[in-house]
Amino acid sequence: MISMHGQVMEKLLQGEFICTVSDEVAFGFLQQAEAADKIEAQLNQMNRTLVSANDGQVFYCGYQTLGDNERKHLSEQFKDIGGALLPLVEWLVLVQEAQGDKALLTAGKVIRLQELQLVIEDTPAFSEQLQKIARYSLFNSTSISSDGQLKQIFKRLLDLGYLLKPNKDKQIFIATGKVDYLFDVIRFIDENEKLALAEQSKVETEQGELL
Amino acid sequence: MSQPILESGQKLLNALANHSDVVMHAFVNGRISEESHNEQVLKSLQKLGILWRPEPGEELRLRSHIRSLLEHSLRDESSRQLETNIQARLQTIKTVVSHYHEAMNDQGYAQAEVYLEDLTEQVYGLSDSLKSGVRNLWRRIHNEFGYVSSINAKIRENELAQKQVTQMREQLQLLQFDELTKLAGTSRPLRRLMVVHLQNCHSETSKELSSAQARLIELLGQFRQYLQSSQLLKGFIRHCRQKPQYQPKDPGMQNAVNPLFNRAAAIIKPAAISVNNIEHETDLSALVAGLKRINRKLDASDDKRQGQDVAIGDIEEISLVDDELHQAVEQYFCEVIDNASKVSAMQFMSDQSLNFDAEEWIYAVINGYQGLGFEEQEFFEMDTLGHQHPMFNNNFVIEDVRLGLR
Repeated sequence: MISMHGQVMEKLLQGEFICTVSDEVAFGFLQQAEAADKIEAQLNQMNRTLVSANDGQVFYCGYQTLGDNERKHLSEQFKDIGGALLPLVEWLVLVQEAQGDKALLTAGKVIRLQELQLVIEDTPAFSEQLQKIARYSLFNSTSISSDGQLKQIFKRLLDLGYLLKPNKDKQIFIATGKVDYLFDVIRFIDENEKLALAEQSKVETEQGELL
Repeated sequence: MSQPILESGQKLLNALANHSDVVMHAFVNGRISEESHNEQVLKSLQKLGILWRPEPGEELRLRSHIRSLLEHSLRDESSRQLETNIQARLQTIKTVVSHYHEAMNDQGYAQAEVYLEDLTEQVYGLSDSLKSGVRNLWRRIHNEFGYVSSINAKIRENELAQKQVTQMREQLQLLQFDELTKLAGTSRPLRRLMVVHLQNCHSETSKELSSAQARLIELLGQFRQYLQSSQLLKGFIRHCRQKPQYQPKDPGMQNAVNPLFNRAAAIIKPAAISVNNIEHETDLSALVAGLKRINRKLDASDDKRQGQDVAIGDIEEISLVDDELHQAVEQYFCEVIDNASKVSAMQFMSDQSLNFDAEEWIYAVINGYQGLGFEEQEFFEMDTLGHQHPMFNNNFVIEDVRLGLR
């Protein structure tokens, strides 16, 4: 039987995100200062360090010092993230709108696939949007039916670790801390490049109201 | 209560019961179209003050008191009115108190009783309206203003609720207890009503109001955060749409990399067997052949899971059959006690001409000694006679034991 320390170590070295949704026990373990110090010491031997994001709600493994190779890896990784951002964001907005403009999807929130599917199939604008999202290379769906498209998108999101499916037989999904991480990334890009995205959209809605 | 009031009250309630469909229609839709209902019915309802026409040419509507009655009993979420007009009620209370005092001074006790009844009604009405206001507020907080859909609307509803809370708190300040105490004077029922009851109600309401206010502010913050993140996402989509060539700046090349993007490459990679590689075929088949298959008898375990009969009865008497050997050992112990000297076990056996196997006998004796209680063992002493095993070190072969008293 592998110890908790070993399990957490393995997850971190596999490049996984650890949050309360994905692994509550491991997350609680990392919140203990003593345990985290031990993990950190062990990671440091491999030029790794324990990184937490989103106000300490997500843990993952990062580089301790950045050499050329490491920077190269980060750049490549960022290219992947950058390419995936737009489809993911469009999907998030679609889910939010389909659920009646309620709160956005955040870690721990539940999506019921059937409910979502009903709303999307009933609303032509949503199904059009879904079709567009499903065609992105991130999801890469060739299906024409919205049922197939949705299933493919959810499957990909499960693979990528944005969602969890607690019960194999039920189409109920839970968002993980990685979704919150996505928000952080966009917020960072927004601040870093001074895009003022929120203001832009505010102006747009105000103009829409005027029209 | 006089007969005419009873009668007209019953008439009103009967009308409500008989035309409940019309009333509920008006409640749900807000108004009622005259074409779809019986003119006679509508007229009688109008006469009873259940429906009214706000302006000529307008459609009929439900009277506000009927509406609020329904809202209260149905706990309808859309009732957003908080009754905050405490001042008017207080004025009424003060007036009735003066009536009461006057009646008491003039020794009109019957009259005073009527005024007291009226006053009780007013005070309880006031406290009830305060309580239901708070309850109403909490109901709206609990479902997070679920009756409006967009976050902007929720924010507006929240702001409205906050204004109402502030208003209610201001109104609560109108309850001046020193003034009320003076007004109540020395009359016990008045003090109980106006000071004790109202004070309790006041402190309860203000406590709840302040916690409701705190929760409202917290909710508002949450809504604003939702709004901000959803605007952020929409802004991002808009930005990407306007500039299709847009690529976020690579943070890997900046001097200080934000920890957000510092994600190390996985050292442990997910692994799987490549079944297409022919070179590995023999190794893999050897591995497969080496796999152990565990067949658990599931059927048997199913049986075990089923409930077992539990026999509840007297425990059978446990009787130890004293066999010969046991008796001999006891005799031997008695002999030792009688002689008060050491007696060899083998010697005893040959003396008594017992026909046991030597080894068995010695075991039985040792067993008998060990089987005694700790305190009884203290009385005896046992020597073991024997020799070391010639071949194995420290193995002692016991040939005889000698038991004696300590």
